[in-house]
Amino acid sequence: MGYLTDSLRALGTTLRNMRRPATTIPFPQQIREREERFRTSFALLHDENGEELCVACLACERICPSEVIKMKVAPKRESPFSGKRRGYLEDFTLDLTACIYCELCVQVCPTDAIVMTRVPEVPGFDREDLVLTMDKLYANEHAKPLTWATASKLNEMQEPPKVAKVEPAKTEPAKTEPAKSAPAKTEPAAAEPAKPAAVAEAVAQEAP
Amino acid sequence: MATAANSPTESRYRLDQVDADADLMVLNFGPQHPSTHGVFRIKLILDGEIVIRAIPYAGYLHRGVEKLLEKLTYAQGVPIVDKNDYVSPMSNEQALVMAFEKLLKVEVPRRARYLRLIFSELQRIASHLLWLGTFALDMGGALGGGSTVFMYCFRDREGILDLFEAVTGGRFHYNTHTIGGNRHDIPLGWDKRVLAYLDMLEPRIAECESMTTNNSIFVARTQGIGLIDKDLAQGLGLSGPLLRASGVDHDLRRDAPYHAYDEVPVRVMVEQAGDCQARALVRVREMRESIRLVREALAGLPEGGINSGKIIKMPQQFKAQSGQVYAAIETPRGELGTFVIAGGGDKGTAPYRLKIRAPSLHALSALPWILPGHTISDVVVVLGSLDPIMGEVDR
Ligand code: SF4
Ligand code: SF4
Repeated sequence: MGYLTDSLRALGTTLRNMRRPATTIPFPQQIREREERFRTSFALLHDENGEELCVACLACERICPSEVIKMKVAPKRESPFSGKRRGYLEDFTLDLTACIYCELCVQVCPTDAIVMTRVPEVPGFDREDLVLTMDKLYANEHAKPLTWATASKLNEMQEPPKVAKVEPAKTEPAKTEPAKSAPAKTEPAAAEPAKPAAVAEAVAQEAP
Repeated sequence: MATAANSPTESRYRLDQVDADADLMVLNFGPQHPSTHGVFRIKLILDGEIVIRAIPYAGYLHRGVEKLLEKLTYAQGVPIVDKNDYVSPMSNEQALVMAFEKLLKVEVPRRARYLRLIFSELQRIASHLLWLGTFALDMGGALGGGSTVFMYCFRDREGILDLFEAVTGGRFHYNTHTIGGNRHDIPLGWDKRVLAYLDMLEPRIAECESMTTNNSIFVARTQGIGLIDKDLAQGLGLSGPLLRASGVDHDLRRDAPYHAYDEVPVRVMVEQAGDCQARALVRVREMRESIRLVREALAGLPEGGINSGKIIKMPQQFKAQSGQVYAAIETPRGELGTFVIAGGGDKGTAPYRLKIRAPSLHALSALPWILPGHTISDVVVVLGSLDPIMGEVDR
């Protein structure tokens, strides 16, 4: 019955869509800007003195659900900068072939030593390219853009607020933590749309 | 048009009723077939072009997820289930953490519950969009080349993945839920982006509707096909859009509210016909309803913390008493439940046994009932209308 008219109507939709801006981009020549929190590969960081931040505490190795982090711990020795005795890494490998990018290793690090990078492409020509050795991880610190997330930022974001607000009329069953549930009547303070660069700061401020 | 049989044994196309000299043929549909939406095999016994019997075989994508979750601790389990129903990872995480939270008796802050609702509804839109696209693709040439609607749906779904990327950093494997709340709060201005996206999406859904559910070719190919009546649907334990398309008014979001669904009530979409068209209509209407829910939840999003202080620091941090819990949520595909038996004692940091109740597995169990009597080309349509995700079926 209406096959012809419906087909024509569908054709009309197609024509309308042809006038819309293209959603794809010519990929290798042009690379899409990723969000501030986008996470792929990894990097190990140094502090401002150029000393390794990682204290070889094994926390990331233990939390990793895929067991892809393997490290060798060097004997503890005094830091030439702070003079404190601390752990050092002897070797560290992270096997990207089995990593599920869960970000748990980043979250548990006590010294913000391990972070993820923001490059969308991590392929290699052979399997070795996907095994991140300690040298590669330290090189990534400056070679690749880093994501927003570090252990302290993630923890700060998840930390329950210290001061409890006065409970509004609509009470809820008792909670393990004070319910700070004043319903947001007004729009959240953010007025401008999130620009990737602004997100990191914005979130840091937002977390109480 | 052939009507569906009520059971394989009552089928009017029963093997013993087929002429003795009929030239029966066995056709293996899948496991490597684009229309099976994954690795799934149906053994079809055919009389000419008519299906006489269908025997589904699942298990090609078995990864031992349940066993893996018994080995990992409660703190480590969440990122693993992202990979089950890879079209709606958020829902998987939520079903698992809700069971763990029940077991460990952890409360979730109100803001986190609202955020979970928003994520789960956005995920429902994304999942239904992908379903609509692939369903149109299954119909092939009937719909202006088939891949037209597919491309439009994928384009619009991208927007949701971008929104999730902005919050969690991942496009599929979010790991954003954790026991006692969420791991990521929304960035500043995210709500504005969501609202702008929804405003863009609403007319696009109408556009897709005009090419699918309102299109007479689509209607001709789906009406009366793959009939599941009320009794069969309930008897097989179907859930979600499949059950609602068969006239059963059941939705966990309304009937057993979790997250913040008690504060943001859901209107449940029900259709009576029980055929492929009814299932398509239910899903398209659910997308509209989800848009409304997200808008409402964003408007009422409370301030406050997103985690009740159970920040993950080490794998053994959660210890459960021995006991059993079951928690279920309404995913885009239906009731996704997690049943956990906790061992307690020294083994208290990991589940003793964990079982996932996947809605897609139940959906596929309807195939032997509804396929007989249909032609081969309808097999693809019926299978597509069930919206099975093999990662969830085989686990
Ligand atoms: S992201 Fe997850 S899987 Fe990958 S190394 Fe870190 S903890 Fe392991
Ligand atoms: S958690 Fe951080 S400090 Fe500890 S071993 Fe891993 S990278 Fe090093």
